[in-house]
Amino acid sequence: MRLNRIAAVIERHVYDAKHNLERVTDTLYWPVMDIIVWGFLTLFLARHGNLRPGLISFLLGAAILWGMFRAFQRDLAVSFLAEVWSHNVIGLLATPLTLREYLSGLLAINLLKAIVGTAAAALVALLFYSYDFFPYLIALLPFIFVLMIFGLAVGILVTGLIVRYTTKIQSFTWSITGLIMPFSCVFYPVSALPGWMQPLALALPTTQAFEGLRQVVAGGGFSWERLWAGLALDGVYLLAAVASFDALFRSARVRGLLVRIE
Amino acid sequence: MPVLEVDHLSKDFGKGRVVDDISFHVEAGEIVGLLGPNGAGKSTTIHMLLGFIDPTAGTIRIFGKSLRRNREDIFARLNMASPYAGFPNRLTVFENLMIYARLYGVAERAAKIRNLLGRLGIEELETKQMLELSFGEIARVRLAKAFLNDPQLLLLDEALGGLDPYAATLAKDVLTQLQREHGTAILYTSHNMVDVEEMCSRVIFLRRGRIIAMGGPTEVTRAILREDRKKPALSEAFIHASRGEPHAVE
Repeated sequence: MRLNRIAAVIERHVYDAKHNLERVTDTLYWPVMDIIVWGFLTLFLARHGNLRPGLISFLLGAAILWGMFRAFQRDLAVSFLAEVWSHNVIGLLATPLTLREYLSGLLAINLLKAIVGTAAAALVALLFYSYDFFPYLIALLPFIFVLMIFGLAVGILVTGLIVRYTTKIQSFTWSITGLIMPFSCVFYPVSALPGWMQPLALALPTTQAFEGLRQVVAGGGFSWERLWAGLALDGVYLLAAVASFDALFRSARVRGLLVRIE
Repeated sequence: MPVLEVDHLSKDFGKGRVVDDISFHVEAGEIVGLLGPNGAGKSTTIHMLLGFIDPTAGTIRIFGKSLRRNREDIFARLNMASPYAGFPNRLTVFENLMIYARLYGVAERAAKIRNLLGRLGIEELETKQMLELSFGEIARVRLAKAFLNDPQLLLLDEALGGLDPYAATLAKDVLTQLQREHGTAILYTSHNMVDVEEMCSRVIFLRRGRIIAMGGPTEVTRAILREDRKKPALSEAFIHASRGEPHAVE
């Protein structure tokens, strides 16, 4: 791995942010909007006495972390789509840049964006709803890591699908988290799901992370069990995503799709 | 020693054969023209050389190595320009070239870029966004990108297409200078036969995926027209071959 090539990928997206206002609004707009909506809901429930103590922390904490996961996964895939839209894919493929370097660059820039977006959402929650997310941050960092790795796996898979099936399936970039969300138990415990959905839910790292979050917020301490389960599942999904990407990329090369991707 | 060796290369898409058992090589410092009518298989061949398309059969060796196993080393010494390759539209010319220069590990990036922009007559475009440029201006930026790493092998797919005569002359000057200074080998596809006659020491003529003639421009003219010519007449040969009239091989 060469640092200059990773830096070049970061530099490309820094220039992009300088010229494209929508890249900046994507980073800040959605996380903040999510928190505003969930904040009003919790206020409404609290005023009518329907909110048991601690639930506001579950809801807003979960909204902040889900926003972070969704933005990270989406931005990874959009970063690649930006190369597709500008017909820059083959230009990059004809340089010494390796896939690992490219992904490292994307990870660095999108991690930064996710941190900025999450910090903005947490700040809005603090200023407008007096919900302080920051005391939980240290205990939640391992679960945030679980979410980021899963976001990376989903981003790699979506990128592979775009390489193979071109932009015909680019809407997947924005919709795939919607598919995962009901199974991820973001705002409710696994026990709230019908029996047939529970094994599927438990097979997702997101579920393990949000169950872990609820335990921390409820004062039940840190769940190592949830963390190890989340990390193990992350490993499986990441390996599967990398293998799928490899197969999809090879298939695109055989079919000559890399030069026609748009 | 050849910098590029292509051996029995073929490519099928579905049931159709687009490139059919072609073999050729390019020596260090040589400018070779890859010619043929539309659909002859020129771009597919270039894309296979760059690893964008997997061949159905055959082998490719660049600098004596397989691209699959030596990708980083080969691409550090190779470059390309193709109308299929674009740039992020909102970025300026300078920003785009800075990114590529960093990818190639170019020392003194800004100075190198400004020098190339000057040599290609587009120094005034430095701060313009790509979306503000004409087709010909983009072609010149592509060439500047292609020269950034002083490549030992340059693959140019219709790279001078869309240039006005002045820009084409500047581009050809830079190409020949690069060849002189760095011994760069160039494989060059074009529909401009005058350029090819002027620049290429050897020509490979493709039709329907097969090599129908290979050699110096005059030899290729003779082989295709089946007449004894003293001077190259590649335009005439091109039209003759495109009509599908009988031809000689090599």
